[in-house]
Amino acid sequence: MMDIAFWSKNERGQVQFNGGRHDWVPAAGIAGNCPHFLLDDEDELVAEEERSCYNCRFRRWTDRSFICMKR
Amino acid sequence: MKIYVGIDDTDNIDQGATGISAKHIIKMIENQRWGSCQGLTRHQLLLHPAIAYTSHNSSMCFTADIEAAYLEPLIEEAGRFLERYSAPGSDPGLCVVIEEQLQDAADLIAYGYETKKRIITKEEAFRLARKLGVHLSEHGGTGIGVIGALAGVGLRMTNNDGRFQGRLKLKAPGAIINVAEILSSSPVEKVQSLDGYILHGQEEVRLGNKLKTVLLEGKRILLVYRRAGGLEWETCTTVHLEHY
Repeated sequence: MMDIAFWSKNERGQVQFNGGRHDWVPAAGIAGNCPHFLLDDEDELVAEEERSCYNCRFRRWTDRSFICMKR
Repeated sequence: MKIYVGIDDTDNIDQGATGISAKHIIKMIENQRWGSCQGLTRHQLLLHPAIAYTSHNSSMCFTADIEAAYLEPLIEEAGRFLERYSAPGSDPGLCVVIEEQLQDAADLIAYGYETKKRIITKEEAFRLARKLGVHLSEHGGTGIGVIGALAGVGLRMTNNDGRFQGRLKLKAPGAIINVAEILSSSPVEKVQSLDGYILHGQEEVRLGNKLKTVLLEGKRILLVYRRAGGLEWETCTTVHLEHY
């Protein structure tokens, strides 16, 4: 089930993170419990905490946030 | 002669990375003794829902010094590599520009900047490549990687865009090292603060966890910052480097 505190659906029905591009603590917390987390290529890492949605291969950046492609 | 090689769109959601593909092509050029390659840079393009990027819409570029006789084999082998080893469902593109034959770099640079601001079509990319007389080829899928491959070269030519691939290996995180040692033991050409101050050789820097360099004024730069109220220089974090 989608936690509406962190996620919402965009106009295309994709699940987008509500925290924008710099909400480090929730992004690390979500990734810590996510069975799909997969670390992206080193050149694409942006968060200092390695296990973070921001560093996950399955996030697709948008201009303001990212879409989780596993939700 | 100096050439620029741009590639893009070699991955899919599950596998591949354009940086890794570029590193393989660099290795191929050097193993064949066709020439020597210089720094590989990553360039961010527009993030827009209508663009079919996998996850971050970035392209890669490197430069190489080669003998003219090796240009055609290089283009052929690089294209073949992209066709064989790019991830299934990817749309790879390859661009090769010979610096001395490019009459109007300004057009290519302007195109690079445009790809950060608006959606560009494959036809526009091919039209510009034909006008400039540069090599641009697609190697599978829809071939839309040509847009980013051409843009990667244009942005590299700005001398002021992109991050270098990979991390520097100096000392352990937390170590303090002076600038002269950084310059003598790594490919870094300058150590510079975020607001443009260039550190001199005896100034000291505390190393962070991930040491990344950026392309500024045509140089490989290690960026540093001071915490609010702090006196010590520290290497920038990935967060600081987000917009490079």
